[in-house]
Amino acid sequence: MYQYDDHDRRIIIERAQQFRGQVARRLSGEITEEEFKPLRLQNGLYMQLHAYMLRVAIPYGLLSSTQVRRLADIARKYDRGYAHLTTRQNIQYNWPKLGDVPSILDDLADVEMHAVQTSGNCVRNITSDPFAGIAPDELEDPRPYCEIMRQWSTFHPEFANLPRKFKIAVTGTPGEDRAAVRFHDIGIRIVENAAKERGFEVLVGGGMGRTPHIGAVIREFLPKRHLLSYMESILRVYNLHGRRDNKFKARIKILVVALGVEEFRRRVEEDWEATKTPELELPDAEVARVTKFFAPPAYEKLPASADQLTALSLGRDRELGNWIKNNVVGHKVPGYSAVVISVKMPGVPPGDVSDTQLDAIAGVADRYSFGHVVVTHTQNLVLPDVKTSDLAKLHAELVELDLGKANVGKLTDVITCPGLDYCDLANARSIPLSLEIAERFDRIDYLNDVGDVSIKISGCINACGHHHVGNIGILGIDKRGEEFYQLMLGGSPGNDASIGKILGAALPQDAIVDAVEKVLDRYLVVRESADERFLDTVRRVGFEPFRQAVYGDALFGAAAEKGAE
Amino acid sequence: MQIIRKREITEDDFVHVPDGAPLPEGGKPIVTLARYTAERDALLARYSALGVRVPPDKLPSDIPDLARLALVALEFPKFTEGRPYSIARQLRDRHGFEGELRAVGWVLRDQLRYMERCGFDAFELKPGKPLESALEAFGELQLTYQAAADDPRPIYRRR
Amino acid sequence: MPPATHWVVTASFTDDGSNAYRRADGTWSRALAEAGLLTEEATGKVHAAQAVADEQRLISDPYVIEVHASDSKVEALSARERIRATGPTVPIRRPDSGLRR
Ligand code: SF4
Repeated sequence: MYQYDDHDRRIIIERAQQFRGQVARRLSGEITEEEFKPLRLQNGLYMQLHAYMLRVAIPYGLLSSTQVRRLADIARKYDRGYAHLTTRQNIQYNWPKLGDVPSILDDLADVEMHAVQTSGNCVRNITSDPFAGIAPDELEDPRPYCEIMRQWSTFHPEFANLPRKFKIAVTGTPGEDRAAVRFHDIGIRIVENAAKERGFEVLVGGGMGRTPHIGAVIREFLPKRHLLSYMESILRVYNLHGRRDNKFKARIKILVVALGVEEFRRRVEEDWEATKTPELELPDAEVARVTKFFAPPAYEKLPASADQLTALSLGRDRELGNWIKNNVVGHKVPGYSAVVISVKMPGVPPGDVSDTQLDAIAGVADRYSFGHVVVTHTQNLVLPDVKTSDLAKLHAELVELDLGKANVGKLTDVITCPGLDYCDLANARSIPLSLEIAERFDRIDYLNDVGDVSIKISGCINACGHHHVGNIGILGIDKRGEEFYQLMLGGSPGNDASIGKILGAALPQDAIVDAVEKVLDRYLVVRESADERFLDTVRRVGFEPFRQAVYGDALFGAAAEKGAE
Repeated sequence: MQIIRKREITEDDFVHVPDGAPLPEGGKPIVTLARYTAERDALLARYSALGVRVPPDKLPSDIPDLARLALVALEFPKFTEGRPYSIARQLRDRHGFEGELRAVGWVLRDQLRYMERCGFDAFELKPGKPLESALEAFGELQLTYQAAADDPRPIYRRR
Repeated sequence: MPPATHWVVTASFTDDGSNAYRRADGTWSRALAEAGLLTEEATGKVHAAQAVADEQRLISDPYVIEVHASDSKVEALSARERIRATGPTVPIRRPDSGLRR
């Protein structure tokens, strides 16, 4: 993985020092909360419902075991012994004290980490495919470009006060989008043109939130050397012309729609023609320098995994077999597999990991995966480079750590935002629904029968829980101070991107998980065969059968009435 | 009034002239873009050093005879206003403006470094904010990654 | 006595972000039960505005909330403020410290 040089290191250390001064000025009253807010936000510090929350950046989700141990230390020393994996491949602490935050930043800087630009109206942490570098279907590893853009966006003086936050995602696998690039302010896909040259397809204006949009292509092929100059031009057009009068209309997607993609593109290209200096061009040597850090680890020469995997998944140990089927992902190197560690289990808020678990995960990563761990936007962890012959042993260890659930990609692998249990902006709680789902459907046969289905829950329209792209999406709304939920079906984040639609009237909290169960039960009846995924069934049969299942029942209808608009 | 100019505290030799107020006999006035647009020739003829105050919704192309101005003041109605950063860069990089580029309005010490990197060289801090300690801001975050008005080379041409 | 609607001024303590409730004497408490009950929302808004001016160091972002007060307790009206007053409704850390139950 990328290693800081002296320049990178000093920037992060200086930033922590600067924030120490800013915190001191806030605590002394020299600056007001209003003035401090943008400063703390640019350092990832929010004021949440009960306390401050510090969001730590994990560039493109990649962590070393040393960093994982440090995250565990911080949880112990400054927080309440746990951390939370976010839906954008970051990690957050829910209870830091303001006066401790500069020390936390020092501790992070020490292991080449920071909280820079994890909030605020600036370019946020750049996300990517959690299987970057190891996916068999990958065209090229996107992480070097993520890192190059991380550096470019860090303290960019021109774009620190954008109309609104700005999210970029990159994928190197044209065939399958595991980074939801179509739902980012800028999405970048590494592609190959007719002449077999590699470059970038650039999409803009995707996003979720109040008005979900699927990003539009503004450049089909951008030569790699122009990456940063082109990004600058997009950001500049947005910075100058994006709306600033209404925060709900301030994202770039609104500007792209208002101007039309053609006019937006014309403005970007006009700026770009005038500003793409030779200095801005990305030299091959720099790409090579950064790429070197992502060179494959010292893999052993091993036989292919297929036979071992089949044997394990059909073996006598059913728990192991299910885990192999659901949590183990193919690897481009023979004899290796990627393992997704599920952080979703009954009784635990999704994505919460304790200090001791973090320490243990670091140990497991050292012993089985060259010391690397990846955070996914689905709030799980990936061990990217595990020998297939080690899988059974690894599974046993994970089970001991309470991290052995075989539910990845299944019904109980729910994406859940913090919601009203923590979040200051929330309308309704998200985590209790997730806990209820985890509890109610904790039956492996049922999970396997229902198959691949994603449930995504957001506590408000900001859509941190990605509800728009859940096969089943749940959105918390506020009705006269009480919590209600909208149920949506049909969303998908990938290459077949679609935005879910509302099924019917909003439901109260005690009815929403029942409704999910009714939808699933109806799916099991109407699907063509066990091979037809939930999403495909919804696309084929439409909403009516599900509407009937949920709202047909008179009693249920009456309960729903109360929550109707 | 005191301002920060080229990282030093100095007495302001320009005066802001609000719309409708009488113009001074001599000296260095800063007029609004509206007034400048309406009375440009007379103003340029009358003053050897003229400044124009530009709201954030105007672009460099909205400022005629840019090269004849001694000063452009870009307004920050809110400290979160972001457009003047891009306008400043365009003024310096694309339009070659070499006069004083001044930040006025809700200007706080923690923005000075970013403003300077975008091409601002003078700052009127929000009334009541200490100038002395604000100078420390120029000593923070000395290292940078991007090409900007202060250096056309991104980090990968400097490493 | 049936619960009656009152208003309370709340904010966050600047040092740790925890809830602050304005007592009747103008000092700040961490407990909603100690909050000064106001019979008019407008009074609360005046206090909140005053707090922004006076108490910038101690507390951040004051605002007014509606509560029901009876003899035995003070309860916020909205789900948001109820949860804010009592803490997360879900386990706040793994019960197991990472070992299997
Ligand atoms: S979706 Fe809303 S409730 Fe959930 S974390 Fe985001 S802002 Fe908070």
